[in-house]
Amino acid sequence: MKFAGLLLSFSCLLGGLPSVSAAQALDPQKLVQPEPTDTWPTYNGDYSGRRFSPLKQIHASNVHELSLAWTYRVAVGGGAMRGVGEPDIKSTPLMVNGILYFTIPDHVFAVDARTGLALWHYDWVDKGGHLIGNRGVGMYGEWLYFLAPDGWFISLEAKTGKERWRKKVADEKMQYFTTGAPMVVGNHVIVGVGGDAIDVPGYLEARDPQTGELQWRWDSEPKKGEPGSETWPNEYAMAHGGGMTWLPGTYDKDLNLLYWGTGNANPVMAGQGRKGADLYTCSIVAINADTGKLVWYFQGSPHDTHDWDNTETPVLFDAEVDGKPRKLLAQAARNGYFFVLDRTNGKNILSKPFVDLNWSKGIDAKGQPIPDPGREPTVDGNLLTINGGGGTNWIPPSYSPQTGLFYVNAVRGYSVTYLTDTSEHPEGYGGSNRDLWSQHVLEALDHKTGEVRWSHAYLTVDGLGGGLGGPGILTTAGDLLFSGDFNGNLIAFNATKGDILWHFPMLHSLSNGPETYLLDGRQYLIAGGGDTLYAFILN
Amino acid sequence: MGPTAENHNPHQHRSKTPLVIVFVFLALVPVSRSQQATPAANPQDTTEQQEDSRATSTRQFLGLGRLPDARLAAEGGKIFAPTCGFCHGADARGASGPDLLRSPVVLDDDQGELIGPTVHDGRPGKGMPAFPSFTSEQLREIAEYLHLQVELAANRGTYKALNVVTGDAKAGEAYFNGTGKCNTCHSVTGDLAHLGAKMSPSDLQQTFLYPAPRHPSPPKVTVTVEDGKTMSGTLKHLDDFYVAFYDADGAYHSITLKKGIEVQVEDKLVFHRQMLDKYTNQQMHDLTAYLVTLK
Repeated sequence: MKFAGLLLSFSCLLGGLPSVSAAQALDPQKLVQPEPTDTWPTYNGDYSGRRFSPLKQIHASNVHELSLAWTYRVAVGGGAMRGVGEPDIKSTPLMVNGILYFTIPDHVFAVDARTGLALWHYDWVDKGGHLIGNRGVGMYGEWLYFLAPDGWFISLEAKTGKERWRKKVADEKMQYFTTGAPMVVGNHVIVGVGGDAIDVPGYLEARDPQTGELQWRWDSEPKKGEPGSETWPNEYAMAHGGGMTWLPGTYDKDLNLLYWGTGNANPVMAGQGRKGADLYTCSIVAINADTGKLVWYFQGSPHDTHDWDNTETPVLFDAEVDGKPRKLLAQAARNGYFFVLDRTNGKNILSKPFVDLNWSKGIDAKGQPIPDPGREPTVDGNLLTINGGGGTNWIPPSYSPQTGLFYVNAVRGYSVTYLTDTSEHPEGYGGSNRDLWSQHVLEALDHKTGEVRWSHAYLTVDGLGGGLGGPGILTTAGDLLFSGDFNGNLIAFNATKGDILWHFPMLHSLSNGPETYLLDGRQYLIAGGGDTLYAFILN
Repeated sequence: MGPTAENHNPHQHRSKTPLVIVFVFLALVPVSRSQQATPAANPQDTTEQQEDSRATSTRQFLGLGRLPDARLAAEGGKIFAPTCGFCHGADARGASGPDLLRSPVVLDDDQGELIGPTVHDGRPGKGMPAFPSFTSEQLREIAEYLHLQVELAANRGTYKALNVVTGDAKAGEAYFNGTGKCNTCHSVTGDLAHLGAKMSPSDLQQTFLYPAPRHPSPPKVTVTVEDGKTMSGTLKHLDDFYVAFYDADGAYHSITLKKGIEVQVEDKLVFHRQMLDKYTNQQMHDLTAYLVTLK
């Protein structure tokens, strides 16, 4: 007994990890590396959300030599997926020990990172949920974590793709859906949820990597009498208020804080039944990673009535502000505002629109935008000088410490927004918006001022709607920015100036965040375009 | 907001002479993967067909299951309102009793197998009386009514614009011929004749605000190549790397964009786009009210 007890405590010290010497296991040290090099161990490459790589084998002077190494097309039988058409790779693959792990809704793939050879494919048959996207897997030792669209949290063996267990984390009959990449932090797997067709509350969970059991749960809405409950008219509205947590967040190891964006309030566009700021919807929340307790919040869209989730990646970096080194968090929010906060306490440093907008009357003392009640959806239509889908969306932004610029693929546009449910207790969306003119623009924002240092409006014939899909951004120490247009071109820009240096016409437009890694001494660039993964190297 | 101001020269690194791209016209059609993943309807469809196709594709996207049977639901509504509406509200969204649109009994039910017994037997522990006299057909109809209420709230593809005609038609007419200067290009007896009979008021409103997404027309392009020679035609493709067009004889041309090549795209909608910064909501509503009178 004594002996068994000793063994048990030994395994606890190691956090219950399987042997890290196993060829395919993820060394936990890789998860806390400052910037990704020979491993891409988590959705954003590291916990900061910067999507900046220190690699510079590929640089501004030789990027024109970049050429195709291999492609991998997801063949999932039948092509079109329920309600969404052809599959789009929106996940950012993990690259661990020479193997890429990536997803589309209902499917996980393991592919040789050198050659594109398929190793295994896990195929889930859903019973509902939205197939709008899947952001990828999380990894702990030899285990992978995947969210099926219908609320199943599934662990796989990385070697074989064999299922270890599954846990139900959300009810698809209540119109929850799960698209996130589970995020491994210490001995927690952080799992978020989506859903807004029926008015349900949002939440974020930490689950045990070994067993999948619940460790903590943070609810997006307060309970009666708790701080924040005063921002709701009644308990009924608060209990159904939304605030989904569908996009992976970021993490500061020193502060042990998770930073997560929350989604729109419910009902989505008909706000008459939930007058008030509706905390903690459309917010950035800082949560203690071990306890799940809220430490601070900043609400990007108080009382949102436009479906502008504030889930966009909260990007973490350190820089000087007024001559003093600060721990910062920056976000280009869907509502069109660029926010810079002090990530130790949530205090606002900068709030400035990065696209034209008329829905807000300015900012309040806390730096939060003040919504204009005169620009809420109306029965007869309300004209907005911003795209209906917002100024950007989930698509990964990037921050380069080399240039000090925050990069975002933005949408300029106009829309008209309607209220379609005038009842006292609206449900669901209760409204709609229609895009008029719009244009996609890559913007490089100065984090000190919010000024647009350079921008590139992608040339096109088409008017491009806001879109939930679209190109993410990667920056590298080679002074490069990789992104794409909506005509299928994967494009390398000079990160400092914005000139185009290279492009590759893919069969479909860039649909995920590009990534880069070093393998056998060579720097690879990986990009997902529709149903195909493309790998590039210098030849 | 002008598209020309910030178009960076994609080939500047190769030359000191910038490529010139001049937008005189920019036609815009909606992206095929429309936002909110509610697939765009075919513009040639009638409004009714568009609504049906939007509702069907959105239902499929949401995983809401089958389309509720409208006839059964209508019968069910006749029973539900007087019998159940007192506690649950006539629209089933809750009163003294719970909101049934979010009820697991309703959402997990398919064809009355859960709702039927619940209504028939009641929930004595929760204060819901039993309704033992309902026939199995009636229980099925009540179930279908509830499924339809869920569909109407959750399936945003079924949402219909309410009354968008709230403005003053006289003021709209004055704006059309005055401040708005719409009559500079348009005539209510010419190109806009019978406009109000051709489309629904909400379609009409969105169309006059910015016609391109609903009525795409291929833009004209003129390309000036290095030797000063110009070619023009109907634009087929434009991105940061090449322009493609059909000339007057229908012959296809594609030209790689590089230094010294100038692309001019005719911009017929520039005034519509400029107006989007100028309209007040009242002017937009007045103009809508006027244009719908053009039967």
